[in-house]
Amino acid sequence: MRILVVEDEVKAADYLRKGLGESGYLVEVAHNGIDGQFLVQESEFDLVILDVMLPGLDGWQLLQIIRRKSQVPVLFLTARDAVEDRVKGLELGADDYLVKPFSYAELLARVRTLLRRGPPREAEQFQVADLQLDVLRRRVTRAGERIVLTNKEFALLQLLMSRRGEVLSRTQIASQVWQMNFDSDTNVVDVAIRRLRAKVDDPFAPKLIQTVRGMGYTLEVPE
Amino acid sequence: MTPWPRALSLRLALMFALVSVLLLGALGLYLYQSLAREIAWRDDEALVGRVERMRALIGDSDSIEALRQRPQLYANMLGNRESLLWVLDGAGRPLIEVNPEHLPVPVLPQGTGVQLRGSAGTEPARLAWQHVMHEGQSLTLVAGKLLAERTQMLAAYRLKLWLALGTGALLAFGLGWAVSQRGLRPVRTLAARAAAIDVQHLHLRVQGVEQVHELQQLGEALNQMLARLEDGFGRLSRFSEDLAHEMRTPLNNLMGQTQLALQKTRTVEDYQALLASSQEEYERLARMIDNMLFLARAEQPDAAVRRETLVLHDAVAQLCDYFEGMAEERGITLVNAAHGTLDADPQLLRRALANLMANALRYGAPDSPVHIACSAAGEALEICVANQGAPIAPEHVPRLFDRFYRCDPARAQPGDSGGLGLAIVRSITQMHGGSVRVETGDSGTRFVLVFPRRA
Repeated sequence: MRILVVEDEVKAADYLRKGLGESGYLVEVAHNGIDGQFLVQESEFDLVILDVMLPGLDGWQLLQIIRRKSQVPVLFLTARDAVEDRVKGLELGADDYLVKPFSYAELLARVRTLLRRGPPREAEQFQVADLQLDVLRRRVTRAGERIVLTNKEFALLQLLMSRRGEVLSRTQIASQVWQMNFDSDTNVVDVAIRRLRAKVDDPFAPKLIQTVRGMGYTLEVPE
Repeated sequence: MTPWPRALSLRLALMFALVSVLLLGALGLYLYQSLAREIAWRDDEALVGRVERMRALIGDSDSIEALRQRPQLYANMLGNRESLLWVLDGAGRPLIEVNPEHLPVPVLPQGTGVQLRGSAGTEPARLAWQHVMHEGQSLTLVAGKLLAERTQMLAAYRLKLWLALGTGALLAFGLGWAVSQRGLRPVRTLAARAAAIDVQHLHLRVQGVEQVHELQQLGEALNQMLARLEDGFGRLSRFSEDLAHEMRTPLNNLMGQTQLALQKTRTVEDYQALLASSQEEYERLARMIDNMLFLARAEQPDAAVRRETLVLHDAVAQLCDYFEGMAEERGITLVNAAHGTLDADPQLLRRALANLMANALRYGAPDSPVHIACSAAGEALEICVANQGAPIAPEHVPRLFDRFYRCDPARAQPGDSGGLGLAIVRSITQMHGGSVRVETGDSGTRFVLVFPRRA
């Protein structure tokens, strides 16, 4: 998967290149709009990550140029989160946006979603190691043992299992499980994870729910 | 676009000029017409007198023939080239004629007594005539006067009137301009005073226009505006100062930790711990910036409030769901007694209630309930979040909703809202045209959101 990052801030571009590279993507970086335009026209990409404020040719103009010839997914980054800016980006044909500062986990999640192409598969069953979750029957078992979860605990576990291996930030979790679309300054998510662990992980081995310090949580079989 | 000039003094001067033109014009017209009528009347009187004198003369004379022999007599009698005289016989032939301009012999209708008529033509004239019988002969005595001189005189008079009118208008304009320049001097004073007030001198007030009643009102309005500006500006600069202080704390942590770590080689675990700790500080900063932006936007007049009809019990239930884990850990029971509906922005309402509930969980006494209820209060709906526990000290209450205000000066609590939580709550209620208040006492603390019902 080839990703083009158009970002004039060198540090930001560097960590995006490094991070996305570590996640297994091939990353090309352009530091201004003109170079970005050149790269877009010269080669094929599966995704373009576009900063709005660019020297030379700004993100909006570059987006219009891209849209003239291709439908490659575009994720734009902006430091201005006024509603008009977001609407403008989406109207010009961007697929998603992130407001700076964003968490890297959030960016990675958006990138994965955009590259998945098409709506995510609505799986009915998930299994990680000996943990099983049946969406339709609302049943969770581990090592054959039935585990009783509250509605929200079930939703949280389903989210973690459906995004297996992805780091989910607290904000993402709060938004997906409780529809709280703002940063609440509480440790609600941590508490919920702790309670879920007590039921799903504590009596068993290996521990599947992992804390990624400074980023969030992920569910995966430990290496 | 108004056709009037932009300068007020010029406008006033023009108005003065216009008024004086109207007045002088009306006066001039009246005088002119009186004069014209008076002259016409006197001329007519003179003509009638002349006809009567001629009749007497003819009556005294022996014959017309004798009179005809002495034309000089009439000429002398008449004295100037303006006057006309005819004595016509029954067939309209002139027996005696004084007619320096050689006007045609007039044809005059019958009638008794002295009659008067104007005659048009190349030389307009005024005629008076009488038909008399003299020695068995029918005679018509005609006296006339050419109007040329009179016309000329009136024309000169008219010209003088126009000149007077023009001069009057110019004078009125000039004087009016000077007077209004002088009269508007307090306005300029006011403008100068107001112009002298800049950001550094917001404490100054407009003074020295109290003598002028109209300007006094303007001055007071300006002063009130200045007071509001000063207040807003003061709050803004206090806010910037607070903000700078608030940012110092996490930055200080970041710098200190990083410098310490760089002093010598550490283990990988140390580095990881440092980075994770830094990340927490960064998030704190990011959250603060988010909240600040939210507050800044909420104060803009066009802040977007997307109202929907909300079922309050459901909205609160969702929040109870969210806080359930936290509450249970503290032994607190969330009691959802909300009912009814409210027109409000669901995101904003949720955010306001979440901030209040988080506070209630933080400060509520362990093993006690937190009540979320609502009640109608006149035209408003009140939603209250009540917790039990120690009351808020009275000195904190007035400033509780100020940005960055904390009751506890030892700030750094985990999950600290950065001192903006309640400011955000107040902003959200204000965006809905409502307000927020706090009631605190020994039985606990109640935060009340007041939303006016919309018509």
